Amino acid sequence: MIQLIHVSKSYDRRVALSDLTLEIGKGEFVLLMGPSGAGKSTLLRMLIGEERPDQGQIFVQGKNVGQLRQSEVPYLRRKIGTVFQEFHLLPKKSVFENVALPLLVQRSSAADIRRKVTEALRAVGVEHKKDQSPASLSTGEQQRVCIARAIVNGPVVLLADEPTGNLDPERTAEIIELFKLINARGTTVVVATHDPHVMALVNRRVMTLIQGVLMPEVQRGDA
Amino acid sequence: MRWLVYLFREAWTNLRTNRTTTMVAIVTTAFTLTCVGIFVLSYVNLRHAANWLQEDIKVIVYLDDRLPPEAIQELEDTLKADRMVGGLFYISKDQALGEFRAQFPSDSHLLEGLGENPLPASFVVTPAPNYRSLDSVNRWAERVTIMPGVAKVDYNQEWIDALAGLIRYIELAAISVGVILSMAAITIIGNTIRLALFARREEIEILRLIGATRAFIRIPYVIEGAVLGVCGSTLSLGILKLGFELFRRQIGSVGRFSGIESLVTFLPISGCAAFVGVGMVLGIAGSMVSLRRFGEARG
Repeated sequence: MIQLIHVSKSYDRRVALSDLTLEIGKGEFVLLMGPSGAGKSTLLRMLIGEERPDQGQIFVQGKNVGQLRQSEVPYLRRKIGTVFQEFHLLPKKSVFENVALPLLVQRSSAADIRRKVTEALRAVGVEHKKDQSPASLSTGEQQRVCIARAIVNGPVVLLADEPTGNLDPERTAEIIELFKLINARGTTVVVATHDPHVMALVNRRVMTLIQGVLMPEVQRGDA
Repeated sequence: MRWLVYLFREAWTNLRTNRTTTMVAIVTTAFTLTCVGIFVLSYVNLRHAANWLQEDIKVIVYLDDRLPPEAIQELEDTLKADRMVGGLFYISKDQALGEFRAQFPSDSHLLEGLGENPLPASFVVTPAPNYRSLDSVNRWAERVTIMPGVAKVDYNQEWIDALAGLIRYIELAAISVGVILSMAAITIIGNTIRLALFARREEIEILRLIGATRAFIRIPYVIEGAVLGVCGSTLSLGILKLGFELFRRQIGSVGRFSGIESLVTFLPISGCAAFVGVGMVLGIAGSMVSLRRFGEARG
């Protein structure tokens, strides 16, 4: 599903990723651990074509991301759901409209949008808030809406960059449970976090990045 | 179709959210385009006047005083047979004197002392419709001047030459002013779009990350630019029409120009549509410039 072969990336001589080689299979749940500045976000940004590697190759579903034309990048992103720490919800749009955005950009029909958005909101447990503004929701609910937006078009991969960074431990556990459920339906999930509590909640494969270098993997697993 | 509704709704939201900026952009664009419109209107009316003068062109062929009546008849037959001549009539020396006295009654005594009638007989020639251009008339006049019995050929050449020169200047000024002020309109609309882009940069970022194509992100701003251009040019047409009607009423009330007001014309419907079309194109150009810069700035 995801394959990185000797990938390196630097910003003004500061090494963000150094000779990274890894593979994530279809349906896997992977925690990408590491302190701030370790290169986790850079790696996720590369997977969605937002950054290009200085060296090496990145494949997502068989496509060489680093060699995609700029006009092909949006079509790659439609297969990947993205969840951010800061939620990035549009305050002037309702919850429903926020979740509908990925379907709108794909020019889905109105009936399709209604059905899929309702399903996504139900899956994350905020269906009853669909007409509200994101600002009126709690931080946990806002992150659920963000997750609904990421899964609404049935992505093959879900990437989450510090998804629990703004949440208390109780909300963190709820969100991680949600990711597990999404993963159980067959979606590959990659969660980047620096929070060791998350690792305690997820007994799955863990990759650790330190100063852009991938540490030897800890193989665990309850699934 | 929901995505299409979304794109238009986003454009409308942009316009409504930045109401003051939108109004300022429309009004400044309108005044800018009004300046262009004044030159365009002047040009259109001078062209109109030139065509009118050209349609009305009369060439006077003055005859030699010593020409016998048979030669006059022969010359008339020759001229009538010429395909460049649409019509002609003869004015004898006596008729010419009569006309002079009728037109200048207070000056008629000037001719008394001369004893003999000094005014020549002439043919007043109207060129055929296809030969009324200045070039055709010039060529014809040169040919007729050297005919036996012709003393001089005269027509309102200076007037037509002067008007043609003026039209060329106005045309040049209209193009120069049009280009400069169009740039200004593009900048004004471009800045408005840039403010909208800046205000919605987070939304643009989100759209990009969820897989929106460049066109999908840009279309609302292009629509916004087009709407600003259309509104600005339509308002400008309104200002021009108002100014035009005031001007026409003003010249109609001045006795000396009485009658001219019916000759001045506003832009035809097709011209108005083209003017609004140009406004729309300028608006779209403004949007494209800002979108390009915005795209370059965010890398």
